[in-house]
Amino acid sequence: MKQVLPPGMTASQMDRALKAMARVVGDDWVLATDLDRDTYLDHFAVDEAAHAAAAAVAPLTAEQVAEVVKLANAHKLPLWPISRGKNFGYGGAAPRLKGSVVLDLSRMKKIEFDTENGTALLEPGVGFYDLYDYIQQNKLPYWVSTPGNSWGSVIGNALDRGVGYTTYGENTSKLCGMEVVLPTGELVRTGMGAMTGSPTWNLYKYGFGPAWDQMFVQSNYGVVTKAGMWLQPAPESMIGLDMELENVGDLEWSVDLISGFRRDGLLVQSPSIGSWLRGAAVLTSRKDWYDKPGALPDDVIAAIRKRFGIGWWSISLRFYGYEGVNEAAAAVVQAAFAKKSQQAFKVTRWKQGMPLEPTPFQGFPVTFPLANAAWHGGRGGHIGYSPVLPSNGRAAMDQFRRTYNRYQEYGMDYHGSFSMSERSITNVNQVLFNKDDAEMMKRVNGFFRALVSDATERRYGEYRTHIEYMDLVAGTYDFNNHALRRANEAVKDALDPNGILAPGKSGIWPKRYRNLRT
Amino acid sequence: MKTPIRLQQIAWTLAACAFSAVAAAADAPPGKPLFTTRCGMCHQTNGMGVSILSRRPADASKGLLEARDDLSAEFVYVVARMGTGNMPRISRAEVSDEELREIALYISRGKP
Repeated sequence: MKQVLPPGMTASQMDRALKAMARVVGDDWVLATDLDRDTYLDHFAVDEAAHAAAAAVAPLTAEQVAEVVKLANAHKLPLWPISRGKNFGYGGAAPRLKGSVVLDLSRMKKIEFDTENGTALLEPGVGFYDLYDYIQQNKLPYWVSTPGNSWGSVIGNALDRGVGYTTYGENTSKLCGMEVVLPTGELVRTGMGAMTGSPTWNLYKYGFGPAWDQMFVQSNYGVVTKAGMWLQPAPESMIGLDMELENVGDLEWSVDLISGFRRDGLLVQSPSIGSWLRGAAVLTSRKDWYDKPGALPDDVIAAIRKRFGIGWWSISLRFYGYEGVNEAAAAVVQAAFAKKSQQAFKVTRWKQGMPLEPTPFQGFPVTFPLANAAWHGGRGGHIGYSPVLPSNGRAAMDQFRRTYNRYQEYGMDYHGSFSMSERSITNVNQVLFNKDDAEMMKRVNGFFRALVSDATERRYGEYRTHIEYMDLVAGTYDFNNHALRRANEAVKDALDPNGILAPGKSGIWPKRYRNLRT
Repeated sequence: MKTPIRLQQIAWTLAACAFSAVAAAADAPPGKPLFTTRCGMCHQTNGMGVSILSRRPADASKGLLEARDDLSAEFVYVVARMGTGNMPRISRAEVSDEELREIALYISRGKP
């Protein structure tokens, strides 16, 4: 990729800025060849060039980050911070604003572990595999809350509100205390970290006065250079209850049952009810079953499900902790399901001393779910579409029906799941596509926009989105004529007067680039 | 994306890598631990790459790169930097040129 420049900047200005940054990080860590630029493209994107970076700068320390940010101000150069750049389906390493310089923090990999309290103070380059390996090598009695793509950064995932599958699965809620380089280059610590040398920085979330950790989540208000994460103590035991539900309509009653157990706290883990394709797409390829365009017919779906023993919906529940408590809780859930279904759960039991199951249910890092990108063959990819619903079966079923119809209308294969929190459901859809199918790729944008429009009609907002659609989604949060966006941008202008940090992230544009909102 | 200029750049980089049959045949290549930490998440057991490559037509043995004898160092280098199929491109910040050379030598060690 030839060099692209941000609006209003010349090649010589960019060159001067990068040379100044090289004096901070070293020549080797300013990455500005054509090939370097390619490595920061979003390989899942419908149009990779639309979000090309001008270069990348890869500091090693928070002090270097601060110096680079100060230089960005001096040169009026937009930066796009990434932790490890593995946010596939949401933009990967690519910047929202074309021509930005990626501030690549993947070399920052320090881990400070508090074994007594079960907290880890992590730099953004620490991936889930790194943390898992550290825990295993040091024989620490803790589990990691790993997501389906564990290649990425632990902090980066929490900062984008990613999720895992254990009782600590709401990763952003396990953040406790941050070190942040503000857009002016000033280094601050949040919570108890604001007191120099405090031993409670990663133990108490709020500090004194306003608590700011969430201010740096899905925002462009600072570069997080360290964050505390709480880790789940390795439990005495685990019980798994798995069920393959045969009928589409089983979604409604199962959501109602699980919603109740999430609200009353019997089920602490956030389970996800996934459609058949979630399992099938990592096991097989579409072309082995059907060679025509358009959404798969029901008989083909039935054949695939039969071959792999997958229900229309799959449910996996997990109970962690003391064995007696788990047994009692699992029995209550089994009894409730028995009133609705003739099927029995497949029950698995694990205790300390037994080998770990190599899945995120036991904090094991994985990447195999990303193999679903090969569903269509060719160069695969997906974008995420994930509206938040009330936690009840009616809402889930209504959302499923409308979304499924849209998939059919646009000739796409439905890949949806319902991730169940204590009071809400996140309806995670992965729109799988084949970048080598030009006709299919023409449909993706319209399809995605139709899905957002449908959700907005019900007043459901997305919890996270691809960089291409950040303005679209931010625009759906429209109370009082977009008052929150005005507030966000007032904060942006106050903290980042030169507008150098991640312009356009989450639909928040600094004054300097506000005319670029789409 | 494959412009002639970029291919020239890669050819130059490969020349600088100085891959050699002697080095590729060395025992206990240092690239093994690097391969595990930098590539193992996708290209060792339970990885995305293993899953996808194993699905390629009629040859499940293609899944584990470490078990293959048909990959040259040059090919490994180019694929890692430029991506292929569903594999994303790997930046120099994530795997430096020096590290990638060692990994490429390790993976190509079985090639006749």
